[in-house]
Amino acid sequence: MRLSELRSQVSAGSLLSSPADLAVYSYDGALDRARPDAVLVARSIEDIRRAVAWCAGAKVPFVARGAGTNLSGGCIPLRGGLVIVLSRLNRILSLDAAARVACVEPGVVNLDLQTQAEAVGLFYAPDPASLKVSTIGGNAAENAGGPRCLKYGVTTNHVLAVEAVMPDGTLARFSHEDDGPELLSLLIGSEGTLGVLTKLWVRLTPIPEETRTLLAGFPSIDAAVSCVSAIIAAGILPRCLEAMDRPTVESVEAGRPLGYPKDPAVLLIELDGDRAACAREAAAIDEIGRSCGATSMRAATDPAERELLWQGRRGAYAALARLAPNVLVEDGVVPRDKLPDIVRRIQQISAKHRVKSYLLFHAGDGNIHPNIVYDERDKEQVLRVKAAGHEMLQACVELGGSLSGEHGIGIDKRDAMAWLFTPETLRLFHRVKDAVDPAHIANPDKLFPLPGAASTEKSFIRPPAAELSEYARLLVDKVREGAARKTFFRVRGASTRWNAPTPDGAVELLTTGLGRIVELDRRNYTLTVEAGVAVQELHRELESQGVFVRLPKCGGTVGGLLAARAGGGLREDILGMRLLLSNGEVVELGGKVVKNVAGYDLSRLVLGSWGTYGVILEVTMKLHARPVPAAKAAPGVQPPRFSAWASTVRRAFDPGGRLNPGLVS
Amino acid sequence: MADLLGRLLTDLGERSTYDAVSQCSRCGYCEQACPTYVATGLEAQSPRGRNQILRLMIEGKLDDPKAAQEALSTCLLCGACTTACYARVPVADLALEGRRMLRGKTHWLVRLATRIMISHRGLFAFLLKTAFLLKRTGLSKLGRPFLRVSGFSVLAAMDAHTEDAPLTNLDDELGGQAAPAAPAWRYFAPCGPRYLMPRVGLATWKALQALKGPGAYLDNPCCGLLAYNYGELAHARELAKKNIVHAEKNGTEPIIGDCSSCVAFLKSYPQLFLEPGDGAWKERASVFAARVRDVVEIYGECAQMLPSGEVGAETTYHDSCRALNGQCLKNEPRRAAKALAGSAYCEMPGADTCCGGAGAFGFVHEELSEALLRKKVGNAASVQAGVILTSSTSCLTQLAHGLRKYYPEAKVLHLSEFVAGALDKNRGA
Repeated sequence: MRLSELRSQVSAGSLLSSPADLAVYSYDGALDRARPDAVLVARSIEDIRRAVAWCAGAKVPFVARGAGTNLSGGCIPLRGGLVIVLSRLNRILSLDAAARVACVEPGVVNLDLQTQAEAVGLFYAPDPASLKVSTIGGNAAENAGGPRCLKYGVTTNHVLAVEAVMPDGTLARFSHEDDGPELLSLLIGSEGTLGVLTKLWVRLTPIPEETRTLLAGFPSIDAAVSCVSAIIAAGILPRCLEAMDRPTVESVEAGRPLGYPKDPAVLLIELDGDRAACAREAAAIDEIGRSCGATSMRAATDPAERELLWQGRRGAYAALARLAPNVLVEDGVVPRDKLPDIVRRIQQISAKHRVKSYLLFHAGDGNIHPNIVYDERDKEQVLRVKAAGHEMLQACVELGGSLSGEHGIGIDKRDAMAWLFTPETLRLFHRVKDAVDPAHIANPDKLFPLPGAASTEKSFIRPPAAELSEYARLLVDKVREGAARKTFFRVRGASTRWNAPTPDGAVELLTTGLGRIVELDRRNYTLTVEAGVAVQELHRELESQGVFVRLPKCGGTVGGLLAARAGGGLREDILGMRLLLSNGEVVELGGKVVKNVAGYDLSRLVLGSWGTYGVILEVTMKLHARPVPAAKAAPGVQPPRFSAWASTVRRAFDPGGRLNPGLVS
Repeated sequence: MADLLGRLLTDLGERSTYDAVSQCSRCGYCEQACPTYVATGLEAQSPRGRNQILRLMIEGKLDDPKAAQEALSTCLLCGACTTACYARVPVADLALEGRRMLRGKTHWLVRLATRIMISHRGLFAFLLKTAFLLKRTGLSKLGRPFLRVSGFSVLAAMDAHTEDAPLTNLDDELGGQAAPAAPAWRYFAPCGPRYLMPRVGLATWKALQALKGPGAYLDNPCCGLLAYNYGELAHARELAKKNIVHAEKNGTEPIIGDCSSCVAFLKSYPQLFLEPGDGAWKERASVFAARVRDVVEIYGECAQMLPSGEVGAETTYHDSCRALNGQCLKNEPRRAAKALAGSAYCEMPGADTCCGGAGAFGFVHEELSEALLRKKVGNAASVQAGVILTSSTSCLTQLAHGLRKYYPEAKVLHLSEFVAGALDKNRGA
């Protein structure tokens, strides 16, 4: 590595290479370590651009780093190279209270943005536990969550646009307002493997009139979970729904008695909104709680009292951090109704590996954090702790969940991706990475099993998806046949938005036959529906059953609406998708869990791709117990012009450009 | 063989230095609490970075004494990280251990100074007075370039920071007095109020008399913090023992000091005696430490006795790190300041962040110290403070310097001066 060459191109004094400097950029909040060859403490976006361009030319790997609080090894420079530190780029460039948008540099600390926003009556919704130190850039790279994401959504729901230095060293801007596929969704949560975020425009939310906190004790985890499900089913969406098990409560109370109930499960519920609604919902929750067997219920509206109730939850990690030098904060997700099962599995796994785990979970979205305390200097103990953590994740996947709700995949869970995704889906992830970063220099070797890792065929342990419908199989067969013959396809729904005739020589793939509502899951409030279902019909059917989706009321099919991204906010509730690729493979993206940061967010990326990335066979989305506002469908949408990056990514999905050829320019 | 503590008294109990530093799980939650990290954005100048550097040094995995030295020497020892840390890893004590590991020989000037402070307090007072005379006559200013070229830039910086130089010290003022038969308290005179700013010591004396009844001048030896931070542990231990013995001879009343840095160090004496065979001294140090009180604690307790009056200027409080992080004294001084200033009291943003004074830090790392000082003064100006209250010698010196330079509309006072002034005024009214 010819560092002098780089040094002359970046701000004076910004390039570090002493052994001590390399040593302190060899770690993050997890266990893995690797030293970089040099560290750039960027002073400007231009520094980053020049450094990445130099890396691209010299084929030197680079890793962007915010506050380095990552819990999955995401900041570790596995192959050496350059660490690009963003901590000094910490200016809030603008904060528009009227438009509720802030533009920030990537190194802005989450709490600093919160403080500035609060001054004008707003807040930034994502609230990871690390918010006092972690940065907005890091939060976006990891698609961070936090307790109040139950109501407000995770980071991807609050980033409106980003500017990024791409792996080729060029500067690009991605926004929800762009035509074509949702490239912004691809970047959020990509853990620095597709570029370096250099500027972010984020949405701010008005601070609600009132916040109310309730603390309830339950005789069992099952009872607490049934209470959570009943609350959601009653159409109440609390801002937070946090749960703790008895060992956790006991360790908190040992350090500092707060009067938490010493029941097997404790729920901390927080409501916000206007005063009347809060009072109404609190009364309803009180009743639901009792009917679910709550042994105690405390409520607080006063900030000091609320703070007291929160101290137990917030102090939990602190209490555990005192028990041993290290705490493994595992992070997995299960469908909400599987929480009792996963808790039992975690207890069995802990016993088997002789580790003590303490449970904290965001019960509302099925996101569990088993915390295992240990001493990293005891190698044998580390092995047991790691094995237990992995088995817990395996259990999550077996129960239909995911590997990570908010901490990311990084190094720790990359091999486990093969449990969750089919080999076809993993290959697609790899192709996306190859397309955007052909030289594999942007945070290499993260997120996915390394090529040549143990055979992925056998590793897949996720419960198999429901059989494709007969009609879907027909489409798959057609595309497979066509793949061999290099046939071009015209994907067509109800022709509501684009009714141009099918070009000569192209085979038509009519999706209107995909007409099933595959699953309406009332316990988890998720809906899986085939793409050919008419939007109007879907609304009618759901309303007759007393449930609702966030889709505009418009003509055409669900698939057509999503493929054309014919309305704002479509992305908000999308959880998963089955997509038929031009090579005849069917990939399964996302799933039934509402919080999921495993792998690239391809189900959102595909929105607006007009069938050129793949044929949407079915989509899984959030259900609501009450009508939800949805943007109006845009009338008369025209096929978009794709940006250069959208075309690049298309090659990962459909290298021959055989789906809807000529539709986009 | 380096002169090391080897073991520390941590919040989780007595630990070896290695165990104490290994308690850092690298979660990074301390980073934003650290003024030097916030100022530089450099991991090596963050608590987590310093912990890892020390740990690697102990494990023999880091051969870069120069960079390690830079990382550890830039630690302000403010302890804000420990307050933020879930496991309360004692980063300041660890950084000092690291510095001791790296230090070949203590600078002869520091050795000489501590030696003089241990054995020849009279000589120390005389030398200071001579220095102050030079200061008064303006000769010291002329001497600064000479000091710089001859390797005493620290002395030159010290001179630049100091404005007024008293020609009497506290011993001259209070030393001769006969102690009352049953004093309610004993005043521990830290070197700052004793030699550099006797006005503070006198104010403390007056305020304590008014609030707590008659007390006695302890005429104590130096606490040894200078040796602990910059010199040799043996010297620090020697001074600690002297103080313990001296206090044992002087009743059992509370010992009240008015420089939070010294007071916090007095309270930490037991940590100096953790070696095998030191058991008896540890015991005596614990008894001693239990007697020690920071004067701001007393003001907090007596807040209701304090007169509230017209202050005439917005009054704010700057936390001395060794009061806040060293002794967890956040509310006590504020209770007193609020009682005295009434509606004129206002909190400034970042009141709990180090001003960059930090003992000799301001003289050694002038640039970094100045950056922190500018921020601190800016925060004080943002609430239009006219009076800034605090409780450490180092903060008083640093803030006075900063206010002179950037915000001459405001002045800095020790909380004692504020209390004594109000009591005086009240009596006069």
